[in-house]
Amino acid sequence: MVSKLSHLQVELLGALLESGLTKETLIKALSEVEPYVLQSESQRAINALQTEKGEPCPDIPNGMGESRLSEDETSDDGEEFTPPIMKELENLSPEEAAHQKAVVERLLQEDPWRVAKMVKSYLQQHNIPQREVVDTTGLNQSHLSQHLNKGTPMKTQKRAALYTWYVRKQREVAQQFTHAGQGILTEEPMGDDLPTKKGRRNRFKWGPASQQILFQAYERQKNPSKEEREALVEECNRAECIQRGVSPSQAQGLGSNLVTEVRVYNWFANRRKEEAFRHKLAMDTFSGPQPTSAPPLTPHNSSSLQPPSALSPSKVHGVRYNQQPASEPESSSSNHHGNSSMVTTQTILHQVSPPGLEPSQNLLSTDTKLVSAPGGTLPPVSTLTALHSLEQNPHALSQQTQNLIMASLPGVMAIGAGETSSLAPAFTNTGASTLVIGLASTQPQSVPVINSMGSSLTTLQPVQFSQQLHPSYQQPLMQQVQSHINQSPFMATMAQIQNPHALYGPKSEVAQYTHTGLLPQTMVITDTANLSALTNLTPTKQAFTSDSETHTESGMHTPVSQAPTIHLQNQDTTIQHLQPGPRLTSSPAVSSSSLVLYQSSDSANSHSQLLPSTHNVIETFISTQMASSTQ
Amino acid sequence: MQLSTEEREQLLPNLRAVGWNEVEGRDAIFKEFHFKDFNRAFGFMTRVALQAEKLDHHPEWFNVYNKVHITLSTHECGGLSERDINLASFIEQVAASLS
Repeated sequence: MVSKLSHLQVELLGALLESGLTKETLIKALSEVEPYVLQSESQRAINALQTEKGEPCPDIPNGMGESRLSEDETSDDGEEFTPPIMKELENLSPEEAAHQKAVVERLLQEDPWRVAKMVKSYLQQHNIPQREVVDTTGLNQSHLSQHLNKGTPMKTQKRAALYTWYVRKQREVAQQFTHAGQGILTEEPMGDDLPTKKGRRNRFKWGPASQQILFQAYERQKNPSKEEREALVEECNRAECIQRGVSPSQAQGLGSNLVTEVRVYNWFANRRKEEAFRHKLAMDTFSGPQPTSAPPLTPHNSSSLQPPSALSPSKVHGVRYNQQPASEPESSSSNHHGNSSMVTTQTILHQVSPPGLEPSQNLLSTDTKLVSAPGGTLPPVSTLTALHSLEQNPHALSQQTQNLIMASLPGVMAIGAGETSSLAPAFTNTGASTLVIGLASTQPQSVPVINSMGSSLTTLQPVQFSQQLHPSYQQPLMQQVQSHINQSPFMATMAQIQNPHALYGPKSEVAQYTHTGLLPQTMVITDTANLSALTNLTPTKQAFTSDSETHTESGMHTPVSQAPTIHLQNQDTTIQHLQPGPRLTSSPAVSSSSLVLYQSSDSANSHSQLLPSTHNVIETFISTQMASSTQ
Repeated sequence: MQLSTEEREQLLPNLRAVGWNEVEGRDAIFKEFHFKDFNRAFGFMTRVALQAEKLDHHPEWFNVYNKVHITLSTHECGGLSERDINLASFIEQVAASLS
């Protein structure tokens, strides 16, 4: 069996097995984790293997639950009773259909809320508009949104449609990415029902990762040159790919959300306009009689952290939402200033009203919970649309999403701080139409999500606010303003300020989106597959084996008795080595670890040191003699 | 989290003895590995990579055919930490077993 594999393949397989992967897991993984690997031979091999073993394909909700690259025909008819997605089942091969059904069945049996969270985070990760789901599943958008965000119950049949879409989409996206890597740009099979709708492509949407990069660049320079823009394009696409757990070389798989130079250009242009507008508003409101009184506000604001979400819509709507009766007199007294009326708000004053409206109306209320920049908070339309789309995700709950805070607008913050009396602890109106709700991040180590791993917008950070958010839901007017709360970039700004280490978060973010550890391994497999295709393997087979043998003999002796105190970190148990050569056994001296204690026989000065550590264990370093063998 | 002076005195000599050197200008350790051919080198890298992912601590490295240059440092603290020592130990084990 080994002889059929190239050397590199053997090596890599060995590495995998050595890392704690059991044979069973590997086989299972082969059948499940395919999209990156699929080629006809391997497919056949997998199928053969499966029939041999008689294993049914396990379902991975997170999945790449596919075992075959089948030609997908889009047959989205927009039928009335059967959602179009169901019809597609007939177009697939029977195995495929059966497999997908199995996955869907399993999902249906799970807790609907958990699956909903999974689906939702997938949507966020890949920046898929809800509209797309609605089009293909025939579900009601409001119902879908409520189900995904708030857990509103959904009937089984409808959930089946949703899960079917989810499974289908995952496969399609995976295909997209793999094909993209091979230079074939596949159309999104499920992109649209009719060519007329959105011209067969979803509207481009900025992902949180990209936005963060852009904001940082904006802070450095507001007007980047073409070269800089192109560099940003690369960076953003890379970040987006990473967010989706895909290799950056597969950027084409981003499809409609691929960042291009034009889009970057437009983004910068819009930000510049926004800033100019904010500036203009600041000028206007500054001329008003309301000074921004920071000190008196601070105690108020800091004390009134809890009910943030009574967002007051702009004066234009003529509605004032005030949850504190005490503040009424104050606000009413201040109302006669035509230019600047005090609005008592409890959260962010984020005006959603069109820019043309009176900006000065969002002013600080002395008793507020939130401060609004005198600069007003009428965002330009472009951000408004972004914000509107956020409405659907106001629900801030899942642990996973909590971690996803977008980093963000340091620049904006700076501007905002300059103009407004920003309250350090809680709220700051950045002026640029975003308000940040101060977040006490509940999980400090997970807070620093720079690369957006995911939950982009909702941030869902303000779990503590979630309850307060609800009451405001009932106010239709609030909704728009509300969405600003969830503007993750801004949240992230606060988070960033609170936690400067955010910037250095390592790949923990990646882990959050790959629910199983399989994905990284998958990636490995892919790469090696490519590698083996590319490399000319040297015919050193015999040498390989014999060398390892000799080395094994000389090096290998694990005098367990000699075992100095060594603590190894890993808790994996089995190590199985595919190669005939070196055999690595887990050291019994240490609690089930997969690392081998490798000591040479004449370990004269083998001394391993153990650094006393509390929770962290340091592996001891092995003696010198071993080192010489690296040659 | 950066290694204290005592810790350094304790741990680094072991590593230095095996060929790890401290990098000039930054608080990091570096070593060059040579293997018989690319397969071994890449197998080595794969093992290290899997472990790095598990530890959530990744090396800076470079590979040309059968050579692998590895630099270890911890970004968060801007220098060496116990994670680097851990990973270096593991790397030594793997390298030894592989050649």
